[in-house]
Amino acid sequence: MRLLHNYHYIGAVILFCIGLYTVIVRRNIIKKLIGLNIMETAVFFFYISLGYVDNGIAPIRVGGADPSKMVNPIPQALILTGIVVAVSVTALALSLVILLYRQFGTLDVDHLMRDEAEEAKEAGE
Amino acid sequence: MGAYRHFPVLMITIPMLGAVLLPFLGYLRKRWVATATLLPLAVSAVLGLLLIGRIPADGYLSYELGSWTPHFGIEIRVDYLGLFMMLIVCGISLLALVFSMRYIEREVEGPKLTAFYVLFLLLSAAMLGFTATGDIFNLFVFMEILALSSYALVAVAGNRNAVRAAFKYLLMGAPSSIMVLLAIGFLYSVTGSLNMADLSTRIAESSYSEVLIVAYILFVIGFGVKAALFPMHMWLPDAHSIAPSPVSAMLSGLLVEVSAFAIIRVTFSVFGSGAENLIGGTVDALGIFAAAAVLFGGIMAIIQKDLKMMIAYSTISHIGYIFLGITAFTAEGLAGAMYHVLDHGLAKACLFLCAGSFIYVKGYRRIDDLKGAWRQMPWTCFAFAVASISVIGVPPTAGFISKWYLILGNIEAGNYFYVFVLLSGSILAAVYCFRVIYYMFFQPPKEGAWESRTNEASPSMLAPIWILSFGTLFFGVFSYLLIPSLLKAAAFLL
Amino acid sequence: MPGKSSFSVIPLIAILLPWISLVVILAVPKGSRRVRLWVCFLGSLATLGVVLSLLPGILDGNSYTIKLASVVEGLEMRLTVDTLGYYFGLVLSFLWMLATLYSISYIDHKENRFFAFMAMCESFLLGAAFASNMFTYFIFYELMTFGSYPLIIHEETAMARRAGYKYLVYAISAGTVLFFAIVAHYFWSGGDLSFQELGTLSLASASRGILMTIFFTYLAGFGVKAAIMPLHGWVPDAHPAAPSPASALLSGVILKAGAFGIIRVVFFVFGIDLMRQLSLFTVMAVLACITIVVASVFALTQDNLKRRLAYSSIGQVSYIILGLSMLTQDGALGGMMHLAHHAIMKGCLFLCAGVILVKTGKKKISEMRGIGYQLPITMICFSVCALAMMGTPPSVGFISKWLLGSGALEAGLPVYIVILLVSALLSAAYFLPIIYIAFFRWEGDEVEGGQKPKLVFGKEADHKLIVPVVILAVLTVVVGIWVTVPGFPYSLVTKIVNVIF
Repeated sequence: MRLLHNYHYIGAVILFCIGLYTVIVRRNIIKKLIGLNIMETAVFFFYISLGYVDNGIAPIRVGGADPSKMVNPIPQALILTGIVVAVSVTALALSLVILLYRQFGTLDVDHLMRDEAEEAKEAGE
Repeated sequence: MGAYRHFPVLMITIPMLGAVLLPFLGYLRKRWVATATLLPLAVSAVLGLLLIGRIPADGYLSYELGSWTPHFGIEIRVDYLGLFMMLIVCGISLLALVFSMRYIEREVEGPKLTAFYVLFLLLSAAMLGFTATGDIFNLFVFMEILALSSYALVAVAGNRNAVRAAFKYLLMGAPSSIMVLLAIGFLYSVTGSLNMADLSTRIAESSYSEVLIVAYILFVIGFGVKAALFPMHMWLPDAHSIAPSPVSAMLSGLLVEVSAFAIIRVTFSVFGSGAENLIGGTVDALGIFAAAAVLFGGIMAIIQKDLKMMIAYSTISHIGYIFLGITAFTAEGLAGAMYHVLDHGLAKACLFLCAGSFIYVKGYRRIDDLKGAWRQMPWTCFAFAVASISVIGVPPTAGFISKWYLILGNIEAGNYFYVFVLLSGSILAAVYCFRVIYYMFFQPPKEGAWESRTNEASPSMLAPIWILSFGTLFFGVFSYLLIPSLLKAAAFLL
Repeated sequence: MPGKSSFSVIPLIAILLPWISLVVILAVPKGSRRVRLWVCFLGSLATLGVVLSLLPGILDGNSYTIKLASVVEGLEMRLTVDTLGYYFGLVLSFLWMLATLYSISYIDHKENRFFAFMAMCESFLLGAAFASNMFTYFIFYELMTFGSYPLIIHEETAMARRAGYKYLVYAISAGTVLFFAIVAHYFWSGGDLSFQELGTLSLASASRGILMTIFFTYLAGFGVKAAIMPLHGWVPDAHPAAPSPASALLSGVILKAGAFGIIRVVFFVFGIDLMRQLSLFTVMAVLACITIVVASVFALTQDNLKRRLAYSSIGQVSYIILGLSMLTQDGALGGMMHLAHHAIMKGCLFLCAGVILVKTGKKKISEMRGIGYQLPITMICFSVCALAMMGTPPSVGFISKWLLGSGALEAGLPVYIVILLVSALLSAAYFLPIIYIAFFRWEGDEVEGGQKPKLVFGKEADHKLIVPVVILAVLTVVVGIWVTVPGFPYSLVTKIVNVIF
């Protein structure tokens, strides 16, 4: 029962694992970045669910709202920062992807990460 | 209550502000950018120096941002070790910056020059914040600034290898940051606090031991990737060897140390006092990885042909040293780890800058090409030799003192196997360092390699190199300036 | 024992004086060769003078101390000139002065590097001799180890490079082992690394096993320099490869630095009582006996003169170890006196080998027929020292053997006398042929009526080469006859022995 009650945590964990799997297994670097974003989303989801209160209201103390009904604002504030960070990481990563594509002409990580010795050997063949 | 209370926060914000303003200056007066980058860092360094003596070894200086009391607001907390770390960051960044003023034009083209300096300043500011913050979410934010600017700095040269190395670094770095964020979430979920000092008391009382253990493991993995601890080191050799040399110096001399320092913070300031038995197992595992790192890094460094690659692998080995000091869980071990942070920062920055000046003057990267380099570039070669000796740990360099305390700490902890590993590590270091020294000083040059009269690197490049290598000697001979306080501060943390 | 310890800067001055040479070389690397090298020599002469100025005080039983730096309480860089340190310092600065004089004429290329590192090594070795505790000793010892590398590979031949490589491998491994020993010593002695006359460790401070571990790691660490078998591998390669003055110093002083370290460990860290309690002396004695006999046998088979001398050094340094292991007054006396005696004899022999090399280019003993007629003074000095090495009276070699034998009887182990006799016999077997070949054979002597060469005196070599050789040969006899003159080894070593027993 306790497990069911914490279904949002399970959701976050599943999302996180999907993201991690994508980052590790996928060969296309755009997909890897998407996986990264899924991981981030999982963590954001986890944070938000921490502060969630059933039928809660926005934490604004105007007009005698009941504090016990308010959702916890701190995780939300934190995740706002987290999202900014995530966006910048993604932006930087995408710009690197563009540069990589320009210079290597491929997005396949196996081709990208091959070292130069192998490249030279390939060119020689 | 003097003005110095504000110094820690100023040390962080001034470079940060500088980084924000620098692009405008770059737009107006391009030539001044380099000098303008020096200024905020120098101010930070001066503020840091003024703080010396004001922070007792067993105390700290706390600053509440926006006057919110710590539990609610963000706290900047500088203790003795924090100040020690911040001064290392300021000093090495300044020297690397002075070096790059001349050097970087070779590797980075015109329009990106401003970007380089902005990123550089941002990296330094982030490292300062990273060490000083007392708030664990703030730690994450500074870590991301630090990580982002370092990804970009690795890629700044813009050629295919640089971009590839940067992307590899990012692919490992970004998930590790997410793990740290997740760990913070776990901690928050069971304690409801983000302030480190507050967290440590709440963790001691908390009954959610499984969550805490998982959080600690995530922290170790997260920071471990940034610190390039052994199985998570794959990004380091590429990034460190391909980045422009001053950046390599920053990454190798500071970034990995700062990340190791974050683990010290998490281990001792957050978990340490109340949850030693909780994290004991993880710390033991950390010790095994650290020992593997020492040996693996050393062996890999021996077989490298590229000088910067060799230094990069040596960094992996020395990160293992620092972690072995942490895992000993004794005051001597921790003091040794901190002293090793200093020594390794100085020595590795010096080695990378030397490698940079070989690249600048002759374009040589391979160790073979350095045969007989001594005749043409004596000053660089001597500095390189001194720094290598410190890497090996030969007295009377700082490396000797740090190794002394690392071994002493491990003997005290009864970890004889790690003592053996530390000693083997220095033999490995001797092998890879002496090979280069031998080539430089005692081998005839390759045909045509050093025949034409070569000029030494320019004074603005030699000065940082010499200050760094002199520093390794200075802190070896005058270790009494720091060691007693470090021991006391370490005992205070434990 | 009356004697006071007082602050003095003289030890520091002695250590800093050799750096004059370094400054001169750095300041005028291309100036007049004559002036540069003579200033180097004067630097080493001045060092000897400064060391000698302490002699009266030392003979009165005083000691001089100066603190350089300290890391934490107890872990400090301090120089203290006690009798033992002074004794070693005197031997080394004397031999160094002669070797520097000799080198002025001997070294013909890259003399700047050679003299600079000679001076550096002297400074470091003096630091090691005057070290007040293990920490200081280790620092100077390691510096000296790396400083002597350029001396060994000075010729830059393939052989020298190989020898240098081997030397580094041995030295670095030894340094690492030693490092462990010192940290362990520091930990289990509760932070006391100082040299005390009765030792600082005791069974109260640590368990038997730990103390044994510390002792054996020390023995292994210092044993590489002291060339105890099976750790002697670098010695026979390094000596022939190095220029002769450097080999003289290697054999005369640098090998002794290892033996000196063992003396410090045995008497000033562990102390006689603990050595007896742990029965550590037997292991030392067995190793020393093996080394003495085996090295002498190896020496027999060598045709390269310097290699033969190197093997002989390996055996002779173990005399010191054997003397210590007896744990008796006479044994210690003989062992420690042998430190100086062997430095004089072997220094002279290597310098003679250098003269032969410079004048005739001959390295192999079998090529040296008739060399005594060509280089009479050199070969007479050589013969004097060779005879002294066998233990012929009246010479320093006889004195050390006599005392060692008496120490063996005191310890109730006459078997050591057998070892000493075997060793003397073997050294006769490897030294006498050299003398025979030099004086009683000559080119073409197989043929009936071959022309015997004429003795030529006075023209054999530059004075700078001959003077050190003659001084050492004369000392071999003089010190062997007037044993008790103040300032000679006996006067100093008896003081040490009186203190430690």
